[in-house]
Amino acid sequence: MSTEHPRLDEEEVLYAFSVEPRHDRATLEHYLNQYPEHALALVDCSIELMMDASHSGDEVQVSSDQVVDQAWRQFQAAMASAQGTAAVNNPFAQLQPTAFKSMARRLDVSNLFLIRVRERAIDAATVPRRFVQQLAAELGATADAVSAYLRSPPTMASSLSFRSNVKPEVTAQIPFDQAVETSQLTPAQKEALQALRD
Amino acid sequence: MPAALKRKEKDGTPYRRPPAIQAWIEKLEVVDRASRLPQFDGASRKHPGYVPTEVVIHFFRQAWIDGEQGQFEQIFRVLLKRVEQSLRSTIWNSRIGSATDIRDEIISRFVVLVTKDCTSQADLLDFYEIHFDQAMVALRTSVLRKFKTIAGDVTTVSLGSQEPDGPEVSPEVEVALEAFLSGDPQKIDDPAFRSVFFAAIDRLPQGQKQVIGLLLQGVPIDAKEKNVMTIARILQCDERTVRNRRDRACQALKAILEKEAEL
Repeated sequence: MSTEHPRLDEEEVLYAFSVEPRHDRATLEHYLNQYPEHALALVDCSIELMMDASHSGDEVQVSSDQVVDQAWRQFQAAMASAQGTAAVNNPFAQLQPTAFKSMARRLDVSNLFLIRVRERAIDAATVPRRFVQQLAAELGATADAVSAYLRSPPTMASSLSFRSNVKPEVTAQIPFDQAVETSQLTPAQKEALQALRD
Repeated sequence: MPAALKRKEKDGTPYRRPPAIQAWIEKLEVVDRASRLPQFDGASRKHPGYVPTEVVIHFFRQAWIDGEQGQFEQIFRVLLKRVEQSLRSTIWNSRIGSATDIRDEIISRFVVLVTKDCTSQADLLDFYEIHFDQAMVALRTSVLRKFKTIAGDVTTVSLGSQEPDGPEVSPEVEVALEAFLSGDPQKIDDPAFRSVFFAAIDRLPQGQKQVIGLLLQGVPIDAKEKNVMTIARILQCDERTVRNRRDRACQALKAILEKEAEL
C-alpha cells in the first residue's frame, strides 16, 4: 500500500480495497485515511467481505440459461452501440433489466409483451401509434425513432461486427392483436391495449 | 508468459496476479484452445481440476484480443454462469428489492464492465483476474448501496422501538453485549455459528450493521486520542449514538439467534 492519493471513484476504490491480500483493521484504516469521501462505502465493503468469507465454501450449481442469454444480448447491443454499427439505434439497448421491468409495470403490460416489442417480434405495421408514443415517452426517445426501430428487421446480429458462432435465429413476427392475446396479459390490460388501436 | 495487467497501484506499480493464478495461466497457455475450453466448464469448485475464475477471465479477455469470436462467446457463457452462481448464495429477497432484481442489476453492471474492457474504455476487469470472489463483493456492495439509497434504510427485525438514536438502553444490555461479542471468541470461529450469526447481522438496519461490523473488525467505539480511528469518527456521529445502535443490534441479534436455536 502506498501513500499517494490519486482521485479514484467509489467503484475503483472498492475494487482496490477488495483485492487487498488482508482485510484487517489496518487495511481498512489505511483506505479510510486515503479516501474519506468513500468512508461509508468502504465500511460496507469491509463488512460484506467479512461475511462473504463464510459463504466461500458454498456450492451452488444452479444457473439459468435465460440469464446468460440475456447478458449476451445486452453485451451485443452495447457493443453495437459502442461501435456505431447498428443500422438503427436500439432505444432499449442501455436499459438495465430492473428498469425494463419497471417500464413494463408503468406501461401496464407483462414483461413478455414488452420483450416481444423489444425483440421486434410484433409486426410494426399493426402496432397502434398511441402505444408507440407511450413507449417512446418511457424510453426518452422520439416516436419516429421508436417506429424506425420497430420497423427494422428482427435479426439480432446481422449488422454487428462481432458475430456469434451460433447462427442467429430470426423471430417470426406476429400481429399486435395476437401478441396482446398470447402475452400473459390480464383482461384489463388486454382491453386497455386494444383501446389504443388507431 | 501471460501479459501483465494494465491496472496500476497508487504508486504506479502494476497490479500482479497471485502466483497461483499466474501458474494456472502458464499451465493452460500451452494447451490448444479446443482442449482448454472444456476445462472451464462443469467441474465443481472443490474438484482439483476446477479452473479458477480469475484464469477463465484471463483467457476470456485474450480471446477478444485475438479475435477468437467463437471462443469469446463460449467463455462468456461459462463466465456469466459463474457470476450468477456466485450471487445465488449471497443475495436474497429483502425490502430493498427482490433477489432477482438485485442479481439482474449486478449481472448487468458486470456486462457493462466487460463491454468497457472490450472497447478499451476501462481496465477494471484486471481486479477480477486478481481475486474474482472479492471483486464480486465490491461490485455487490456498490449495487446494494444503490438499492438502499433508493429504498432508504430498512429494518427487517422487530426491535420494539424503531427510533434509531433514542434513549440509551440499560447497563444490563451493555454487559450482555460485551459477553456476546467478546466473551466467547472461539464461538465466532465455529463455521456453523458464524454462518447463522452473519446472516442475522445482515438483517439489521444499515446503521446497526455498520456498528457491529466495525466492532467485529476491532475498531473501538470511541477514543480520547485524536489520531485513533473510531466508529464514532468513521460514521461521523456521537459516541452515544454508536452505543445505542450497538445495544439495539445486540438485542435484535440475540432475539434472532434464540429463535434459530429453537428451530
